[in-house]
Amino acid sequence: MAQNDQALLVRLKDSGLEFVVIGGLCVVYHGVPVATFDLDICCPFGEENIRKIESAVKDLNPFHRLTANKLPLELTRSSFASLKNLYLQTDLGKLDCLSEVAGVGNYEQVLQQSILHRMSFGEFRMLNLDALIASKSAAGREKDLEAVRLLRAVKEREAQQKEFF
Amino acid sequence: MIDAATLAQMNGEYVMPPDAGPAWRAAAEYGFDMSLIEESLKLTPEQRFAEHQQVIDFLIELQESGQSHGAK
Repeated sequence: MAQNDQALLVRLKDSGLEFVVIGGLCVVYHGVPVATFDLDICCPFGEENIRKIESAVKDLNPFHRLTANKLPLELTRSSFASLKNLYLQTDLGKLDCLSEVAGVGNYEQVLQQSILHRMSFGEFRMLNLDALIASKSAAGREKDLEAVRLLRAVKEREAQQKEFF
Repeated sequence: MIDAATLAQMNGEYVMPPDAGPAWRAAAEYGFDMSLIEESLKLTPEQRFAEHQQVIDFLIELQESGQSHGAK
């Protein structure tokens, strides 16, 4: 199954959804080359925003990838209030949408600790290095803690370069 | 004539940058290949994404190829 993060990012942006890129792709963004097989974002939830996510992926055969019966993404009014996360499989890959990030906080807090980065395919908000380290530390899995070691080294190197210039 | 230090580097020994701080040294001593981080930091974030996409595409292809091989 393909994983095309750039195409997913562009679709989310085009849907009008406000979001911050978190997780493994953000680790790559900061300079640590890990292989990550999903796109993680943090975004505000609620009907309007979930509708935007739905519109971004509706033609990509989306389904709730963690449900036993691979439930298709068909949202009802009752589901809007109870959903805090969406773990989707789409034809362009896995897309995990979270309403909060462990170690950082809710979307507003995540947004405050993000940086806007312009790329050839659009402008996207990425979790900043300190918040990414906090989130990976809070996640606490072995692979997260290994990423933390490397992210701390990158942070140290960036601080040295700022001093130098 | 290749000196011992060069030979060691040819065999994979990492040369610690003279300005490496404690976090960098700790990561290297933990066993990470810090030369990969050095190379990555030379790229722009967009170049890093492009490299990552290439790796992911290759790994998925490899995985699918392995699965279809196993199915035979």
